[in-house]
Amino acid sequence: MKQFPTIFRFELKTLLQEKSYKVMTILGVMLILIIMFFPRIVEQFQNKDADSKDRPLMLLAGEHKEEALPLFEETFQSYEVQLTDLSIPEIEDEIRDEVVKYAFDLDDLEAYRYFVKNVSLSDSNLAQADTLVQILYRADALTKAGLSPAEVARINMAPVHGEVVTLGKDQAQNYFYTYILLMLLYMVITMYGMTVAMRVATEKSSRAMELLITSSDPLGLMFGKIIAACLAGFIQMALLLGTGIGSYFINKKYWEDNRIVSSMFEIPPELLVYMLIFFFLGFFLYAFLFGAAGSLVSKIEQVNTVATPITFLLMIGFMGTLISMSVDVDNLAMKILSFVPFTSPMAMFTRIAMSTVAWYEIAISIGLLIITTLLIGVFTAKVYRIGVLLYGTPPKPKALWKALRQA
Amino acid sequence: MQLEMCNIEKSFGAKEVLKGVSLKAQGGRALGLLGRNGAGKTTSIRIIMNVFPPNAGEILFDGKPIDYSQVQFGYLPEERGLYAKQKIMDQLLYFAQLKGMSRKAAQESILYWLDRLEMTDYKDQKLETLSKGNQQKIQLITALAHDPQVLILDEPFTGLDPVNARLLEDVVREEIQKGKIVIFSSHQMAYVETFCDHIAILNDGEIVLEGDLESIKRCYPRNRLIVKSVDREKILAELGKQYEMVQDKDRLIVTLADEEDKGEVMEILSRSYNIDALSVLEPSLNDIFVQYAGDPPAEEKTKEEARA
Repeated sequence: MKQFPTIFRFELKTLLQEKSYKVMTILGVMLILIIMFFPRIVEQFQNKDADSKDRPLMLLAGEHKEEALPLFEETFQSYEVQLTDLSIPEIEDEIRDEVVKYAFDLDDLEAYRYFVKNVSLSDSNLAQADTLVQILYRADALTKAGLSPAEVARINMAPVHGEVVTLGKDQAQNYFYTYILLMLLYMVITMYGMTVAMRVATEKSSRAMELLITSSDPLGLMFGKIIAACLAGFIQMALLLGTGIGSYFINKKYWEDNRIVSSMFEIPPELLVYMLIFFFLGFFLYAFLFGAAGSLVSKIEQVNTVATPITFLLMIGFMGTLISMSVDVDNLAMKILSFVPFTSPMAMFTRIAMSTVAWYEIAISIGLLIITTLLIGVFTAKVYRIGVLLYGTPPKPKALWKALRQA
Repeated sequence: MQLEMCNIEKSFGAKEVLKGVSLKAQGGRALGLLGRNGAGKTTSIRIIMNVFPPNAGEILFDGKPIDYSQVQFGYLPEERGLYAKQKIMDQLLYFAQLKGMSRKAAQESILYWLDRLEMTDYKDQKLETLSKGNQQKIQLITALAHDPQVLILDEPFTGLDPVNARLLEDVVREEIQKGKIVIFSSHQMAYVETFCDHIAILNDGEIVLEGDLESIKRCYPRNRLIVKSVDREKILAELGKQYEMVQDKDRLIVTLADEEDKGEVMEILSRSYNIDALSVLEPSLNDIFVQYAGDPPAEEKTKEEARA
């Protein structure tokens, strides 16, 4: 293992210099930045519009227009709300000529009318107006019943406050960040695990392995590759997550109202620690297997065939967790998956994120994962030692087992 | 310096690949390790280099069990290949550092060898952009850069044009002169004869012949003479009845019933005819190889067929 630092440095440098790595990381970071800064950029343009007093004109007409004005002004702040004495046909002409953007005829509160040239897909004016007109209608009725305007205002503005008392975790709050972290875990383990298999297979198919096995210890070669791939994956994951979280906090005021987005980034720090633990353990467990798989083939084309059972195992954990997330994160299947070492990095992590898991359950799950990872490490190192010297068709499991016992 | 394989045995499953192989390689001399495909050459080389341990036997260096942390090996494998998509300098540095060199020392040595093998201009290029012969020169640097005590070259001349082959010949000679142990495995017998004064022939996991090439050749009967002369027809007509003679292109091969007559016949020939060259016909390494290892290797066979 004394050549480990040399191998590690070489492997890491190779991975970080790969075009696909650079492009993917830069594009990912840029995409996140564009999305997170989008509302700020949009606001810059909107502000200019507001400064030039170029807000679209909204007209109120009809009997109740005066009582409605303060309410409409408060609700439609992005429009210039004005009262009008124009007749309905005249208002229609103004809208057709695009002098006026919107208009409300409030002659009859039970059947008010909304005028607009083209209704856009996201037009919520009518829905908002519904609420306002209802308030006006009630106020009108209450005034007619003899209440003073002050009393009416007090009834209308009565503050109602509901509070959720969460004893465990709020799944509506943590669903999105768990989803993102789970996706990241799955993708990084699969991608960089496959990278390890491909790198080993490349060395074998290019016959660089002939020279490597006579220059260094196979264990050093395997660990150097795996740890370098782990670090490359970690760097990429940290950059993407870091950019996301960082740019969210810079633009927090623009996103606070968006419950989905804001819940994505309000990740509890201790969950990030669990994420790291499960990422490293899960990564090593799978990278060992991928490395051994890569050592068994002679051509790069064969890697996929040999790696399929491993990717399948990963997929079981991922799909099982993903499905359970939207139903019940603590169902029996999830409980089992969260203790099986090949699925626990994703399943236990998700349970910790979305539910309340006892500390000893977490400890048992992590303990089992550590033991299995070590055992798999020892086993795959033996396979690797034999595999790198084998050329031709990949050995059948029985033949491999025989060779392992003789080694 | 002396490297020895002592009674090395190795099996893979039920297949016995090496059956008690012993041989010696000495510093300042090249050992030709010969054998047909599958005879056990690569396995022997891998055991010498500690890729895997033997089932029995040991490797000695200067008479003591070898300490791999003290002895450096340089290896040019028969199956060549490095990282196709990496820059040449980067990978040469990597391999030299794997052999324990510091970055600075590795850099100096690699630059020297790039210059020596006329490859300096390519150092910042990716390996895949080079021709096969040039890639082979780069691979040779991985075997030489760390100045190893033992140099193992497996078919080093395949794929090289005559100019590069000459360059490599010079380099190998220099390494032998520096006192290094050079183990040379090849099917190109002409090159083996050029470099190696010591050979070992492996056949089916056993050493069937080992020793000084000159002495081996001397062990063969020296009753055949090779005669080059413009008077071939005359000699054939006058002496053909007395001695067994065959014409082989522009020369005559005379086979004597008794080796003792050699001197007398040589004297008659040189006295009575216009002789260009006259010598005892020694067996070629190819003849020896065929005798000990069975059929000639494919390459030699084709040459012989072409000749016929």
